[in-house]
Amino acid sequence: MKYTQSLLVALVAMFGGWLIVLVTPSASLLGVFTQAVIYAMFALGVGFLLKQNGLVSFGHALYFGGVGYAVGVVLTLDMMPAEWAIPAVLLAIGAAAFAVGLVIVRVPGIAFGMLTLAIGQMFYLLATRARGITGGSDGMGVPWPTTLYGFPEKALRQPETLFMITWVALVLVALLLHLLLKMRFGAVTEAIRDNEERARFIGIRTTVPRAAVYAISAVVSAIAGLLSNYNSAFASPESLHWSVSAITLLMVIVGGFQTLAGPIVGAIVYFLVSDILGDYATYSMAIFGAALIAVIVFSPHGITGAVTSFVKRRRKGAASLSAGATREREAT
Amino acid sequence: MLTISLMNGLVYGALLIIMSSGLALIYGLRRVVNFAHGALYMLGAYIGYTVAIHSSFWLALLVAPGVMFVVGILLDRYGFRLLQDREPLNVMLVTFGLLLILEDLVVFIWGKGNHSLFTPELLRFSIPLFGSDLPAYRLAVMLVGLGVALGLTLWLRYSRVGLFVRASSTDPLTTSMQGVNTDRLSAIIVGLGSALAGLAGVIAGPFLSLSPHMSSDVLIDSFVVVVIGGLGSLAGAFIAALLLGMMHAVGAVYLPEVSVLLPFMFMIAVLIWKPTGLLGSRT
Repeated sequence: MKYTQSLLVALVAMFGGWLIVLVTPSASLLGVFTQAVIYAMFALGVGFLLKQNGLVSFGHALYFGGVGYAVGVVLTLDMMPAEWAIPAVLLAIGAAAFAVGLVIVRVPGIAFGMLTLAIGQMFYLLATRARGITGGSDGMGVPWPTTLYGFPEKALRQPETLFMITWVALVLVALLLHLLLKMRFGAVTEAIRDNEERARFIGIRTTVPRAAVYAISAVVSAIAGLLSNYNSAFASPESLHWSVSAITLLMVIVGGFQTLAGPIVGAIVYFLVSDILGDYATYSMAIFGAALIAVIVFSPHGITGAVTSFVKRRRKGAASLSAGATREREAT
Repeated sequence: MLTISLMNGLVYGALLIIMSSGLALIYGLRRVVNFAHGALYMLGAYIGYTVAIHSSFWLALLVAPGVMFVVGILLDRYGFRLLQDREPLNVMLVTFGLLLILEDLVVFIWGKGNHSLFTPELLRFSIPLFGSDLPAYRLAVMLVGLGVALGLTLWLRYSRVGLFVRASSTDPLTTSMQGVNTDRLSAIIVGLGSALAGLAGVIAGPFLSLSPHMSSDVLIDSFVVVVIGGLGSLAGAFIAALLLGMMHAVGAVYLPEVSVLLPFMFMIAVLIWKPTGLLGSRT
């Protein structure tokens, strides 16, 4: 029952993507939307870690940017066809993140943020300095093949197709995460997040689920990075820089991390606002910094939290109003 | 060769001592991981730069930390104190927002270009040491770092305020029940920490150039230092700062390929071995 509802919502959402393509007037605007959807996926990954583990990562650009390098190296050295390279790289990133996670989730919360920052920045520096195939600070072009899974590159790179691919991918990932959290895994990780010691007392092994959450969030970020990389066919060290992680974290907080929808909303709002700001974009980071502070101080649950509580209050108000009216009618 | 790189290591270590002792003090008392610390460092450097081109470097050395002290007190009064009942994570994100605002403020006032502070006349000579020439300015930086480390240690150990600070960082509630004004104490400490960041900015001016991106490198290195040393532990921060400075300088000469990775690898190794850091006890 509850599963059919989620599936229906997902189907409607996919259909909604098609509507967006229909009503969007220009290809360049659709390109902006594609970027927004890619970052929405990235934010979903970062937000998932915060929601299920209560941990803030300042280093997820490592997975977002790193996947481009990984695929680039595999394709340049011709180790396997791209059709195999994509799942292989994602799987490898998931495994690596799980191993990293086993070590770093044991670090107390606040140091975790600094640790992820340090690990991420380490790879950024490595990518800018390393000579050879990854091209140092110039970045590397990724030789995507002319056909992918039987589709010609030309068709895949149409703005409309690219948008639909990223959109459907986002809906599917969000659906999978939603279903995953409905299972035992969701309850276990929430228990650990709220009180790790108590969770251990009732016999739950705590490190492995937390590392698993970290690995899942890394893979989701890597999928976003993969889509971004297919879009640009270029892996640049800038995509590994910590400011990329930080901007995404900002989207997560502004959107609200307590729900899966929050980060997605945050990313879309971020891109809409940056597009509207346009000329003032030089100081956009200051504006977003101020927005971040305002959200944390006045509405810790972000935009989605504010909207839900507003709707709830309206409903409650309406309900009590109508109840009052009935009582009045009965009295007369 | 080795002497020079060891010296450079000590210089960078001294800078990191000044930066990270401020971070450690603020964390110790307010439990705040202050991302804005890098921005305060940068702001100090730019204020110092403006003062130095209009009058002298020595005045800059006084004015920049002074201004940052005031900024720190305001930051504590209208930031940390109002947020002290919030989750540490939220406060950390607020300081991060502040970092973004201050970085753009610097671009707005001083522009995007690079600037450099000139070494003051008085220190523009070098001292022959073990067969190589050591610029006097670098020696002065080392001395300042040593002075800050010694001064803070003695102040915390032997002064009355220092006693209160140590008590309050162990248990702020009990300390305030004994009649210590912990809010004023926090204001002093955050002000002092910010002033130290400003001082670090000015003295870094002549050997690291001023740019709107100067904050993140030093901030990240200082984070690595306080995490390795143990959050809130001053002695740990001193040791870690010197180790890190050495790794930077010696690594750059002997292991140029991986030198930038050394501090991070060291940090990861320390955290695996001891998740609270070298001398840290609290979580």
